[in-house]
Amino acid sequence: MLIDKYKDEITEILSRYPVKRSALIPLLYVAQRDQGYVSESVMQEIAHLLRLTPPQVYETITFYTMFNLKPMGKFHIQVCKSLMCALVGSDTVIEWIRAKLGIAPGESTVDGLFSFSLVECLAACGTGPMMQINDDYYEQLTEDKLDRILADLRSTGTSRLKSGPFMWPEPVNVKR
Amino acid sequence: MPKHELVLLKNMMQPGYTGSLTDYEKTGGYQALRNTLGKIGPSDVTTMVRQSGLRGRGGAGFPTGVKWGFLPKDYQGPRYLCCNADESEPGTFKDRQLMERDPHQVLEGIVLACYAIGAETAYIYIRGEMVLGSRILEQAIGEARAAGYIGKNILGTGINADVWVHRGAGAYICGEETALLESLEGKRGLPRIKPPFPATHGLYNKPTVVNNVETLANLPHIIKRGPEWFAAIGSPPKSTGTRVFCVSGHVKRPGNYEVPMGVTVRELVYEHAGGMRSDKPIKAFIPGGASAPFLTPAHLDVKLDFEHVAAAGSMLGSGGVTVMEEGTSMVWAALRLMEFFYHESCGKCTPCREGSSWLVQTLRRILAKRGRMEDLETLSDLCKNIAGRTVCAFGDAEVAPIQSTLNHWRQEYVDLINEAEAANLIRPEPVGVRR
Amino acid sequence: MADTATQTVRITIDGMTVHVPKGTLVIEAARRVGVMIPHFCYHPKLKPDANCRMCLVEIEKMPKLQTACSTPADEGMNIRTATTVVDDAHKSVLEFILANHPLDCPVCDQGGKCDLQDFSHQYTASSRFVETKRIFQKEYFSPLIETQMNRCVQCLRCVRYCDEVMDVKALAPVGRGTMTEIKYFGAHPLNCEFCGGCVQICPVGAITSRLSMYEYRPWMLKRADTICGYCGDGCQITVQTKGQELIEVNSAHGAGRNNGDLCARGFFGFHAAVHPDRLTHPLIRRDDVLVRATWEEALEYVAARVGEIKAAHGGQSFGGLISGRCTNEELYLFQKFMRLVLGTNNIDSSARYGHVNGLHAMQLVQGTHRWTVTFDDILDADVLILVGTNITETNPITGLKVKEAVKKRRATLVTIESLEPVVDTISNIANLSQHHFCLPPSEMQNAILGLVKGVVEQNLIQPELAQRHPAYVNAIRSALQQISWQDLQAATGTGPNSFMRAAKVAAGAGRVVILAGQLLLRSEHGYSGCVTLLDLLLLTGKLDQPGCGFAPLAEENNDQGAVEMGTVTEFLPGAGHIANSTDRERIAKHWKAELPTHRGASLIEMLKRANEGSLKAMFIVGENPVGSLPATIRAEQSLRHLDLLVCQELFLTETAALAHVVLPAASSMEKQGTFTNTEGHVQAVRPSIEPVGESRPDWEVFSALSILLNSPMEYAESKDILKEIRGLIPGYGSLGPTPSAQKVDRTAIDRYLAEGYQRDLVTRYRLVKPKSRPDGTLRLDLGQSLFHSGKLSTRSKGLLQVEGSGRLRISPPDAARFALSDGDRVRLSSTSGEMTTEVKIMERIPQGTAWFPYHFGQTAVQLFECAIDPTTQAPSFRTATVSIMKVA
Ligand SMILES: Cc1cc2nc3c(=O)[nH]c(=O)nc-3n(C[C@H](O)[C@H](O)[C@H](O)COP(=O)(O)O)c2cc1C
Ligand code: SF4
Ligand code: FES
Repeated sequence: MLIDKYKDEITEILSRYPVKRSALIPLLYVAQRDQGYVSESVMQEIAHLLRLTPPQVYETITFYTMFNLKPMGKFHIQVCKSLMCALVGSDTVIEWIRAKLGIAPGESTVDGLFSFSLVECLAACGTGPMMQINDDYYEQLTEDKLDRILADLRSTGTSRLKSGPFMWPEPVNVKR
Repeated sequence: MPKHELVLLKNMMQPGYTGSLTDYEKTGGYQALRNTLGKIGPSDVTTMVRQSGLRGRGGAGFPTGVKWGFLPKDYQGPRYLCCNADESEPGTFKDRQLMERDPHQVLEGIVLACYAIGAETAYIYIRGEMVLGSRILEQAIGEARAAGYIGKNILGTGINADVWVHRGAGAYICGEETALLESLEGKRGLPRIKPPFPATHGLYNKPTVVNNVETLANLPHIIKRGPEWFAAIGSPPKSTGTRVFCVSGHVKRPGNYEVPMGVTVRELVYEHAGGMRSDKPIKAFIPGGASAPFLTPAHLDVKLDFEHVAAAGSMLGSGGVTVMEEGTSMVWAALRLMEFFYHESCGKCTPCREGSSWLVQTLRRILAKRGRMEDLETLSDLCKNIAGRTVCAFGDAEVAPIQSTLNHWRQEYVDLINEAEAANLIRPEPVGVRR
Repeated sequence: MADTATQTVRITIDGMTVHVPKGTLVIEAARRVGVMIPHFCYHPKLKPDANCRMCLVEIEKMPKLQTACSTPADEGMNIRTATTVVDDAHKSVLEFILANHPLDCPVCDQGGKCDLQDFSHQYTASSRFVETKRIFQKEYFSPLIETQMNRCVQCLRCVRYCDEVMDVKALAPVGRGTMTEIKYFGAHPLNCEFCGGCVQICPVGAITSRLSMYEYRPWMLKRADTICGYCGDGCQITVQTKGQELIEVNSAHGAGRNNGDLCARGFFGFHAAVHPDRLTHPLIRRDDVLVRATWEEALEYVAARVGEIKAAHGGQSFGGLISGRCTNEELYLFQKFMRLVLGTNNIDSSARYGHVNGLHAMQLVQGTHRWTVTFDDILDADVLILVGTNITETNPITGLKVKEAVKKRRATLVTIESLEPVVDTISNIANLSQHHFCLPPSEMQNAILGLVKGVVEQNLIQPELAQRHPAYVNAIRSALQQISWQDLQAATGTGPNSFMRAAKVAAGAGRVVILAGQLLLRSEHGYSGCVTLLDLLLLTGKLDQPGCGFAPLAEENNDQGAVEMGTVTEFLPGAGHIANSTDRERIAKHWKAELPTHRGASLIEMLKRANEGSLKAMFIVGENPVGSLPATIRAEQSLRHLDLLVCQELFLTETAALAHVVLPAASSMEKQGTFTNTEGHVQAVRPSIEPVGESRPDWEVFSALSILLNSPMEYAESKDILKEIRGLIPGYGSLGPTPSAQKVDRTAIDRYLAEGYQRDLVTRYRLVKPKSRPDGTLRLDLGQSLFHSGKLSTRSKGLLQVEGSGRLRISPPDAARFALSDGDRVRLSSTSGEMTTEVKIMERIPQGTAWFPYHFGQTAVQLFECAIDPTTQAPSFRTATVSIMKVA
């Protein structure tokens, strides 16, 4: 049960809102962090906790794109395909990933390591092409950078190439 | 020397500035708050904001002080402030920078706004994908709470303002203020019918103000340096202050540039963003995010302020300036944006829901050279039948790319169709199931 | 609801001026001047959502077209609905809707009653859409309700109805944009109240009933507006038939006291009437077997036997029992037959099981035999107090009035219910309650006392009452002083503050309505609970105030009629008392015959007399004492003693199987007459089909027998009986749309305040000791399920799909305690019997309590003991102590 495992965190989340239902999305995040996806039994548990019916949880969760209703690969690669990234080459990135991982958008690698999706604009249009892997952004992608990211993830589970606090152009570049 | 004085990006441009509370305080941070709480009356703060001429930076450009004035004066129950950090408009990436690099500037603005409108609780509705941003904000809130800038009895003044970060979960529509409120209430993010407006019936049906991150970040400066100072920047009287423009597309140095409102696109692109990446001429640009109609090189000298951009047939919107070089297919560009809108239509209103799927399929067909001349009339009819007929402004937004490209580059559509007619390949193609 | 004079505004619609209350929606204002604005998502029961965009109109001074469904009328508004711009907008929205709508009208059940079809014809709409239509996979939605999401226009009326009106929240719009579809939860089949509301409110054919699929087009069907035969709410239904076939039941918006709303029983329960087991011929017992006979043979046989018995033993040797499901005309004629033709007052009906408790209380305190409020007063109430109603399951439509009052009109709800306030698959009224007291039915009296104590101790007694009737007030005050808050807390688990707060809310409100339900009425303390609730209204000065009153809920469709027609032994038609000579003479004068004067026997007494041998013959009409009464009553043994048992029945029940003569009766789908609903509204029952087989309306049997017995009561049709009733009983004159509530009788109140209260005040104002139960046992209650009504509904194929057998509902903690999971089989045993059943874990069941639906209770009743109320003779057998053991 989620509540047993994350009691304090859940209590804290509930304390932020005067109306319980507001805690729905935060609790779904807790669940997704725990398992990588949100299972039906967790939805039922959350419904119970918030005094909602399971359909009320279900209608909400299916409206948003960030919740997985089934298990995903360990690394969920999401490439932005909106216009701004497309202008600077996101289609190429998509092709590279397809070639390197051998999976099309919507699929996962058989080793369960990578899932691949296309998403809409992630607010990094000035630093495209870009992708998000799990919680992290990777920007200004090149083929070489992509290779290093995938290699890093495979070997260490993380990559130093992910973005830090965002600023572009960076101050050093600003010589005006 | 920068040509223009920076306001919002000033701190973060200092080498070594980390955005921590100490750094922020060193630059004079939270002085505005110290000098305001309990010293200037809340309604006087509202008056100052009104006098500054500050208009919303989220898209609609509504005067901030006026919006605050709509809250019921004598209402006793709770009121709320929601900071709109959903930043999902394609082409826009300024709020992300403001939050991740100088979070306290935003927080100080939030507390000042809470004070002005009498809210004791503020939620920062940040788009779910910005995990880093939400962590940085939470950390900053922790620092500010420990220092007594946020929470109960702020700086011993007896004033309370709690601030919470609330993550969205992937839905562009939740940037629309009433959809944001629905989402914050744990529901599907469907816009509400207005009236009633959030000012009277907002979060949990209580009086609520929704303001964009950049809007709020301006507040400490307005309070600190006075409304007159702010009102003198940019294109007074109606477009005052600076704007952080997000430049993307085929330029050499894309990125966020803070300039006074009223600079021209030409200046922004050629002086700040380093010109075009392959020195091809500009073919088209969008001046205010995906929802703003495309403009042409003929508009390069249009001043980037609310009035002039509107007069040119587009809108300043969220400040996302996307530049496309000669050689870019406008039908393709319109389709890319249309696919975005199709993916993001919440589905509440018939015209928006059905229209977006229809428009996408038709554009795809034309681009795949299976178009017919009648399609062009259908396209513009559909656009006309969507705009102004929906609950929220999404409907107006989604037709902007098609209407403006049809308007300025109709020949590109015609050419594709001519090729199609030549090949006699008119066949519909399935739109495919999403997700 | 403060009735501040509503402001009216003047608006112009297509040149016509109309005055409407400020805030009226433009779409409704237009309707008033006969302008129908096309719409899909708007529905008068629902909050405007303005999602379909079909109702766009032009309003002068507004730049954009506005949605008529969400725009309130404002002074001086000038609205145009018929301009080219508006017409084009309507056409374009239709074009958008049709884009993804399949062209399957010929195979769609909605064909002929579809808003989309109608508007498409009206606008000769077409769509230029040549792309690929969206396609949803067909999914199994539920056994009763089917969805065809390709047809959905996403108006969300179904979802909004399920939430706003029903408070069930079972329907989820899943996904986003064009791919949104209506689902339940994941791939699970729908599990909800099955009210059918989504089917009824869907403007297209996206949600349809599986009971009436692909059968006929609406115009091929015959319709009859009649009254549902299940519960006391008395909903108006429209039964659609093709010949003798029952095709569909629905209820139009605005129709009846239910205003178009129905519950599962009304919407899906209609097939009971045409169950293959229906009795179709008279049966006579010959050589101890029931064999088929003609009506002539059967009636002559009965008449001959009656003649013999009457000659040998007199009228007193007869007894009669009739169901509260019969029409008023039948009930009336039955008691007239018993009293006049047979000469006995030994008459009873199903109202005895509980409804009489509420009526006797009302008669005692306020001199009425009916509610002094109506459903409309429930809607308008400031405070509603529900005691033992389990209203969602027992009286679902009255429940909707309560929900509306609380959710839409902000009434405060106080509940004394045997329910945990949890969210579940069906709605739970305790969830809407601000002051909830969770107690088992037999201990509800304690919470009632807590409320009265709260009133007394906070000096909330109406000052004038205290002045005029100090003895009454002091008697209550001193009785309550004997009950300490500690004891009360020990007995109820609730501290003084909760009672004080609830008492204050009730006393401070303008309009207070108390609803008492079957859990209270059928409990041992049913009668005293009702009187004490009336004390509460009296003490706070509400009893005689407009909009205030006490409303005991009837479980069966015509329990109220059964009392008013005089089919309980102590009451004459009009609820005059048999012992009262003026009442008796009034009836005698009408009947032009003398009435028997002896005190008649009630149900339990009759069975006792039968067993002892002094009662020789019984007429039992639509009742089944053998199947319904606990073993200790020995109903079967008693009935076997009779020289003559005549049963009029739809089915060969346990009781009918013992009869000497069984006469097939027509169901309420097959006859004419009237029912009186729980609020006292008399409503017309109309036949939808011909009587099944040779069955006949019950009244015809009484009439025929009376002729054979030489005291003819001849009527050409049931309307003639109604005419006679009208002459005798007020309230049966017009069958108009709204009932007239009775007024309290002030002289009766004064009589009660002067002396009436004394009779049992001391016993009433005493805490009911919670029964101590040995470890390892549970308290078992018999209750009413939402999906059934009596045993009749267990013949309905639709309802059996939802609830096909009785399952023991237990709480999760008890399930854990006895190591049980859903579906496990258990043996229950009490001192009087045992049974095995399956368990169903339900969170709303309070810990320590188990609950069994009495509709399937033939074996369960054997576990219960029976207590008889000394004042009202109501038998109570709804609570038992049982031990529970898992069996393989
Ligand atoms: C479809 C749609 C999307 C929007 N997205 C955003 C957004 O991502 N961020 C934002 O600040 N405002 C967004 N807005 C504007 C908000 O509705 C609202 O006007 C704004 O938050 C008000 O803040 P401001 O007055 O400070 O600009 C959006 C509006 C629409 C119609
Ligand atoms: S199923 Fe029917 S009522 Fe429900 S949203 Fe679809 S069209 Fe509307
Ligand atoms: S949701 Fe607002 S127009 Fe579609």
